[in-house]
Order: sequence, then C-alpha cells, then structure tokens
Amino acid sequence: MAHQQGMDSALFERRLRPVYDNLEVGNNRKALQESEKLLRKHPNLLCARALKGLSLLRLGRYEESHSCLQVVAEEKPVDDSTLQVLSFCYREMEQLHKIVELYQHAVKQNPGNEELLAHLFVSHVRVEDYKAQQAVALQLYKAQPKNAYYFWSVISVVFQGIRGPESAIPEKRKLYLALAQRMVDKHIKEGKLETEQEAFLYLHILKLQNKYQEAWEFLTGELCAKLYPGAPVSMKFELLKELGNWKELNELLQQLLEADRDRWDYYKEYLTSCFELLKKTSSDEGTENYTLTTCHDFLLHIIQSSERKTRGPYLARLELHQRMRANQLPAQQLVGDFDQLIIEYFLLFGDKSCCTHDIALFLPSISMEQRQALAGRLLVESGISSTTLPQNKEHMQKHICALQISRMCGVHIELSVDHLLALYTALKLHYEHGYSSFGKQLLSTEMGPSDPYALLAANVMYDISMREQKSDQLFEALCLLQYVLRNSTSNFHVKLLSLKIYHMFGCMLGAQEMYDYLDIKQIQLDSMGYVHCNLLPLSGRFSGVRNCYDSTLKFFTNSYKERLEYIALTYRFCTFSKMEEFMNFKERLTNSLLYVACSVEAQLCDLVSCYGNVQQNLTSYVAMTIEPADDRIAWNELSDNRDLEAIIRWDPLHLVDAEAERKESYDQEIEVLQLRSLLLRLFASFIDLYHAPPSAKLALSNAKTITPAPAEDTATLELLRESWTGLHQRLRLMNYKPLSQRFLVNLQPTRLHLLLELPYERFFDDLAQLVLDLYTGASQLALQCKRVSENVACVMEICVQTITESNEWNGVDGLWKRRTHQQKVAACLEILSLYAFLLSVLNDKLQTSTKTKTKKKSSGDNKSQGTPHPISEKERSQMLQELMRQLKHKLEACDAALRIWKAPTLPRDLSSFMADMSLKPEVEATLIGDVSATFKESHELMVTELRNLLKDKIRIVGK
Amino acid sequence: MTTLRPFTCDDLFKFNNVNFDPLTETYGLSFYTQYLAKWPEYFQLAESPSEHIMGYIMGKVEGHLDNWHGHVTALTVSPDYRRLGLAALLMNFLEDISEKKRAYFVDLFVRKSNKVAINMYTNLGYIIYRTILEYYSGDQDEDAYDMRKALSRDVNKKSVIPYTQPITMRELRQQMRHDV
Repeated sequence: MAHQQGMDSALFERRLRPVYDNLEVGNNRKALQESEKLLRKHPNLLCARALKGLSLLRLGRYEESHSCLQVVAEEKPVDDSTLQVLSFCYREMEQLHKIVELYQHAVKQNPGNEELLAHLFVSHVRVEDYKAQQAVALQLYKAQPKNAYYFWSVISVVFQGIRGPESAIPEKRKLYLALAQRMVDKHIKEGKLETEQEAFLYLHILKLQNKYQEAWEFLTGELCAKLYPGAPVSMKFELLKELGNWKELNELLQQLLEADRDRWDYYKEYLTSCFELLKKTSSDEGTENYTLTTCHDFLLHIIQSSERKTRGPYLARLELHQRMRANQLPAQQLVGDFDQLIIEYFLLFGDKSCCTHDIALFLPSISMEQRQALAGRLLVESGISSTTLPQNKEHMQKHICALQISRMCGVHIELSVDHLLALYTALKLHYEHGYSSFGKQLLSTEMGPSDPYALLAANVMYDISMREQKSDQLFEALCLLQYVLRNSTSNFHVKLLSLKIYHMFGCMLGAQEMYDYLDIKQIQLDSMGYVHCNLLPLSGRFSGVRNCYDSTLKFFTNSYKERLEYIALTYRFCTFSKMEEFMNFKERLTNSLLYVACSVEAQLCDLVSCYGNVQQNLTSYVAMTIEPADDRIAWNELSDNRDLEAIIRWDPLHLVDAEAERKESYDQEIEVLQLRSLLLRLFASFIDLYHAPPSAKLALSNAKTITPAPAEDTATLELLRESWTGLHQRLRLMNYKPLSQRFLVNLQPTRLHLLLELPYERFFDDLAQLVLDLYTGASQLALQCKRVSENVACVMEICVQTITESNEWNGVDGLWKRRTHQQKVAACLEILSLYAFLLSVLNDKLQTSTKTKTKKKSSGDNKSQGTPHPISEKERSQMLQELMRQLKHKLEACDAALRIWKAPTLPRDLSSFMADMSLKPEVEATLIGDVSATFKESHELMVTELRNLLKDKIRIVGK
Repeated sequence: MTTLRPFTCDDLFKFNNVNFDPLTETYGLSFYTQYLAKWPEYFQLAESPSEHIMGYIMGKVEGHLDNWHGHVTALTVSPDYRRLGLAALLMNFLEDISEKKRAYFVDLFVRKSNKVAINMYTNLGYIIYRTILEYYSGDQDEDAYDMRKALSRDVNKKSVIPYTQPITMRELRQQMRHDV
C-alpha cells in the first residue's frame, strides 16, 4: 500500500484536498461526506480514514471517531500526512502518549528518517519525557549531525537533572549536570560551538553546578565574545557576586554608570558592592581601606558632571542614605539631611508623574511623624495654597505629587469628615481648573493632566462614605469620574475606579459598560478578570453574564490547546534560555484560579438557567460531562494570576499590606471554589442517580459487570454529601474574616460569607437525603419531603424578605446595601432553580418507570418479608407531584416580590448634586441623568431576567 | 531611573498598566511567544525602582545579505513614565543588539498621523525611508511611514537612500517574501 501511495501521492493529495478545505472552514459534515466518498473508491487510503476520524471528532461523534482512528493507528502509518492528521486528533483529545507510540512505530519502520525522528522528539517534549528526548535527539544527531540536535540532547540531560523525576536526588542531579557539561566541553574542544544560545546553555550548566569561576572564564573568554556578543552584563554581576569579587564588580559598575547614568539595576548592584567592600575592610586588616565616602563622592561626581538631570544618581543617593541607616551608619553625617534630600528631589523631578512612586520607595524607612512632617513640607514646597492655583502643567504636577504623598503618609486618614469634604471640594476645583487651563487640546489618546486630582477625590469620597456608612458621597464620586471620562476618554484609571464603584452598588450595566470600555482581551482576561468576571456570579444576572464567561473561557481553552506548542517552539528555535520559563508559564496559565472558577460558575449558571423541556435540559446536562465522582481540580497547582497593581492607589503605606491582602482574598476564593465545585458535583450526583450518563453506561458494559449492587450507585452521592457538610463545618470553624473594605481600591469581598450565611448547606444536604429516599423508597420519605419543603419555604422567605428590606432601604439609602441584597436574591433563585430542574428530572423518571414497572413489581414484592416495604413508585410519584406543586407556589411568591422590587433611589435629590458639583450646569444635567438612567436600566434588566427565569421554572414544575 | 531586563512570560500577567494605553495593542499569546522563542534578546522591558513595568520594546532581526536588519515591532511606554527618555533608552538597546548581530540597519513602521512618534524617531536619527499605502487597516485605512536608521556596518549608508514613490502593501509583501 505504501507503494501504491508513493506512486500516486500527487493524485491522492488532489483528491484529499476537498476534505482538508472543508475542515479548514469548519464544514465538518461536508468533510465527512467527502472522506467517505473517497474511502468508497480507495478503502485503503489511510489518510482519508484519518480525516474521516477527524471530521467525526469535530462533529462530536466521539465513539465513531475513536474506532475510526484506532483502525488507522493499528495500520502503523508512516506517511507524513496521515501521521499529521492522527497526531492532530490525539492532541485535540489530549491523548499525547498515543502520538509518541505513533511516531515510535513510524521510526521503527524508517530508522534514521530525520523528519519522523524530529516529530518523535517533539512528541516526547509534549509529555515532558526528558530521558526519551535525550535518546531520540542522539539518534537525530547520528542521522544528521546538526548542532541543534546535539544540543537538544544536552538540554534533555540538563532537564533530567533539574526537572525530571530523578532531579530530587542530589547525586543524580549532579551526575546529569556533569554529563551535560562533558557533552558541551567535547563540542567546544572540537570547535563546534556555533550560536549564542549554545553559549548560554553552557554558562547555565556551569552555574547550575556552582562552577562560577569556570563560568566567569568562559563568559569573559574569546569564544563567548565571538558567539555571544549580546550576553547581558547582568550575567557578569551575578558571577562576580557569587565569586565574592566585590572590587572588580565595583569597578565594572563605576565604568558602566559613567556611560549609563540612569540605570537603577546598576546603582543597586553598585551600592551592594560598596557595602560589601566596607564589610571586608572592617573584617580583614590587610586589605586597603574602603569607606562609603568613595561611594558618595562617586554619586556626587555623577550628579555634578551630568548636563541633563537624570533621576538615577539622586535616587541612588537616597538609597545610600536608607541603606546606611539600616546598617546603623551615620547617614546624615555623610549624605546629609534626609528630608532635605527628598525635598531637593521633589524640586527637581516633582513635575514628572513618576516622582510619587520614587519618593514612596523611601517612606517606609522613616517614622510616621517624620513622614507626615515631610508631606507637609512638600505641600508647602509645591507653592500651592488655598488661595493660589498652579501656573502651568509642571507646577500642577508638583502639587499633585505632594497631595499623593500626603495621602500615602496618612495625612488624609486623620482628617475629620468636614475637612475631608473641604479637601474633596478643593480637589474637584483643581481638577476643573487644570482641565480648563491645561487639558483642552489633548489628543484622544492622552490622559488629562489634571485627572489625578479627580482620582484622589474619588478615594477621599470613599473614605467619607465608609466613615458614614452611606453611599451619597461615593455616588457623587462616581458622577465626577464619569465626568472626567468624558473629557479624558482614554484614562483607564478612571474606568477601573468607576467599574469598582458600579460593582459596589450592584449596578451591573454600568460595570459592564466600563469593562467593555477597557477593551480587556487575550491574557488580560486572566490577569484582569478579578475586576469584573470574577464578580459576576450571583450578582443578580444569570444569562446576562454568560457572555463574559464565554469570552474568558474561550481565551483559556485556546491557550490550553496551544500550551505545548509554545514549548515545542523553543526547541525548534533552540532557545534554551527560555525553555524553563515557557514550561512554568504553561503551568501558571493552565492552572489559573480564574479559569477553573469561571468554568465551574459557567456550568452552574447553565444548570440554573436551562430553558428547554426535560429531555433537552438533560441533553445539555450530559454535554457538560460533569463527573461527580472525579474531582478534576488540581487544588495544589492553582495559580493566582491577578494583576492587582494595575489599579493605582495612594493609600497610607502603614495601613496597606498588598501581599497580605492578596493572600487573604486568594485563600477565600479557593474556598469559594471548593464550595461551588462541590455544589456542582453533588447536584450532578443527584441527577446521575436517575439518569446515568452514557459514559458510565459504557464503562459498565465494558467491564461486563451486570448491575451494580444498590449500595454502589448511591456511593458517590453519599460521599459527596459527606464532603459537603464536612466542608461547611470546616469553613465555619476557620472563621474567615470578610476582606477589609477600608479603601476604595481594596478587593471586593468574596462570596464566602454569603454562601455560608444562606441555607445552601442544609438545603442540599436535606435534598441529598430526599433523593436517596426517593431512590430506595425508604419509609421516612414523607418526613424528608416535609423537610425539603420547609427549606424551600425558608429560601422563598429569605428572597421575599430581602426584596422587602431592599425596598425599605430605598427610603434611607438606595445604594449602600444594594449589592448584598441582589446577591441574596440571586442566591435564593439559584437554589430554587436547581431544585426545580432536579424535580423535573425526577418526575420524568418516576413517571416513565411507574408506567413500565407496575407489572413486574407486583410479582416480586412479596420476597422482602420482615423488612418494611419500600414505598411504591406510584406513591413516590405522588409525593413528588406534591413537592412540585409546593415549589410552584413558592416560585410564584418570589415572582410577586420581584414584581414590586423598586429600582434604587439615588441617595439625594439630583438637584442638590448639581449644586454640589459646581461644574458646568449643562454638563451636569446630562451627566447625572445618564448615570441615574444606567442604575435604573440595570435594575430593570435584572428584574426582567430574574422574572423570566422564574417564569420558566414555574413552567417546568407546573406540568 | 530604569532597570532594563529581558521580557519574560510572567510579565504578560503584569503589563496591564502599560497595555491599557489606547495606542498599545494586546496581541494573542502566540504572537508574544513567537517573539520570545525566536528573538528573546529583542524583547526587553524597562522596570522602575518600585518594580512597575514602565515600558517595553519588541523586535526582531531578519533579512538576507545587505537587507539583514533589526526591526522594531512594538515600542510602548506607560503614561506614568513618559518624558523621561525611556523610548530612546529602549531604542538604543535594540540598535545596540542589532549592531552586535552585525545588522545593516534598523527599521520600523509608524502611523503617518502619529506626529509625536515620528518626531521622536527623527530625533533619534531615523529618516522616512518610504511610505507604505494603507498599511494600517481599520475604520479608515491609514498609510505608514517606513523609517530607517543605518548602522555602522552599512558604511556607505546605502540602506537609507529614501524611495521617492510610495509602495503598496502588495509590493511590500512581495519584497518580504523575497527576503525570507
């Protein structure tokens, strides 16, 4: 057959073309037809069969696809196109080991074939089998003595030593690394080292073995200079540090700094070397004396001899001051007064927006009193008082910097509410003045120079709101931000803060607008998902949030599919310096907490809002392939990919611990995920008990066990139920504190407390018992029915009460509790919707089985004498009908409450806002009108959606 | 005051304060990974003392014979760190690497309307080598300038003798195919 293919390969290629073309454009059905047509003429054409398998796979006909591909694989194909199609299919199905086998067979039949061997190598790369990689790379090198292949084998040896299963054993690690070094040594001796990446790899191997002297000699040698002229100078720093050669490092850095006077990395290393030289001086008598005066003189020399003022040497001087103080050395004596140095820095660079970040670096090293005094002096130095306004943009930026620093020093936090309000008014006026004086002729892509005033103002208003526990000031801040956004359409800080406030007030529509405006895409969906996507579950919408989950999940699934090809790419280009980085990146991306959480929430959301008849709903349920018995989450690998620094803040440094905040929220998010994924699995186990998924049936028929013992089919459910109550018990004991909401930029509270407060635990625990009792017909069934209906009534009560409470709050403050109220209502409706779905499935099953089994039952029932009779299926069905009837009533009660749920009244009269805003009246009117309309519309959308949801649930239980 | 270091995959999770800028495109992952895998030394990042990402440059080296040249694919600086000479620093870095790789010149494409950028590149010694018609597609297609600067290997500055006529995208593609 190979012969036949060889002869007519061009012809076959032409015949196969339509199949490929159809697959490419996603016309899978047509591709299937074309491949079948081709197979009728040429039944032995393997590639056509493989393509048929691929078409079936794409059509979701997995079993047929599987057997089709199996037939091809058993033929042990060798032609490239068939192999490509097969490995593509296996990649889709995540059966990566099969690709290895495939190419192993192919290589066996064509030993020494370079192309096949290269494919085999990459197939080992995909499964991270470094040992096998090494062997294949050597075969490749034997077949084609290319350097790339030789170094593929070298890096495979290195990875066995540092990443493979044996890397934990120190002796093994040593052996592998020594072997890798010998391999390169040999190559160098033969004069065969050719590229910079090869030189990099050699240096890397030496460093991994702590052979720093050898590495230094190679790095500074002739060969490296020739092959690797772009070797980063930081490699030299690293090695000199390891070698303790501080003098040489010090001299090298002085040279570099003379040429490059603004490099922070150089200054940092330079200062380190100075302090090390000082240490050495004090411990060894023999060496020449080193004092920090040399260091200080050098920095002064740079400052004095620079024509253009750069921040570098000034910051280095501050750093020297800071490090000297940390070492109890007389900093003031040598470098001068710290405050004075900061002020000098401020006067020189205060007109650059980065000045705040720069000065902030040195604040933690001084006392609170000193910080606040310093902040006061900076404000004075900025030359703006209550009676003066900035004269130009630079002047204004200095003022902004001084204000930001004073917030960071904790000055604002100590002010009274009246003072804060006055500060807010001043900031607002400064914004308006800056906008009209310096912000008018901007490009649409530029940020307004006075925007930072408004950002600060929003933070100040949040402080007041928190103190007063009222929303009006924060609402005004939102209006101000929306005003700024009209003037400065590209200011993402404004969008992020507005997004935050909209979420706090439960205004989904406003939040979505800001999110869309930010144009978050690709990997940002992961790192920035926390500002929106992660806040959507139980926000009050179900189907409305599905789009956002979808676009996020689409990014993740695509990256998941591609993840190994990125790594293969580093091999193709022999980029040894990036391989480990790529492998770690793959882990981080595919284990993103957001990815997992979003998948679980999307599934729950689908179960809550499935809109079809029972059969259709079950079909979509099956398509979700939830396997209750199988916890598919790699809990220990989960990764926190949030970019929390993207949101700018100037909160008091002594009250902000960003890392602790990150950890606390992350821990809680993991617990939330535990709850949600367990809820999903537990619920799925209810359904599966009555509606075994096809995969389970398949497994049963394959295993040839007849019917499982009755205890076995309920085992999963019982186990999950135990975990469910166990998890709740643990979480209550853990007593997590709600995340601090002290500052505007703090992360939004997690749903953990909401989930523990609402009767999720009891509801699903009792429901589990009901499902079991219904299954076995246990005698306490009636009692259990009663319990569950009480729970239903309780959930309905919470829903109705929450809405009443929300309406009452409207008289006091329509926004302050809005989000919490919406979340509670959404959670209640989630519980009831899941329950409704379950009842509809149970009812469907019981009705069909009473119809078919009535005859059989009557004959066999007599056997179980002595034990109580199980309740007959007919009775069970009647009880179920009753549960459905009750649920229908409760759903109707919820709907009645929803109908009278009022849109949030905004905290004060709009007219008083207008008076307060003191911006241009015509702008204000439309502005506040728009913001208010967003709130109103958002509420209406939510109510409409929730009522539709209820209507549908009433329909499915009303039948 | 800057730390220059190679851009790493992890930085993709942290570059939002730069990429939220409306002139900075966030590409698909494969775009970044391809550059990182193929031209790792051409993807550099500037970091502030407070360890914020200030900006980055993404580029490559390609071409045949006397067309062997460095190319700037993307250069971006966060709004908070503008007017500090950062773009020049990053450009210098890329030119330096291209010198070390014995390239003849460095080139880049820029929107004809982006006066700020064109001005900056001119100050850095780049000339408008030619106009490429409708290079940027969008609501309104826009022409690009192909700007160039000769490196020391191009002793006679042959690479920077400007075209007098604009070229179309098709012609550009043909040239590129010819090159690779």
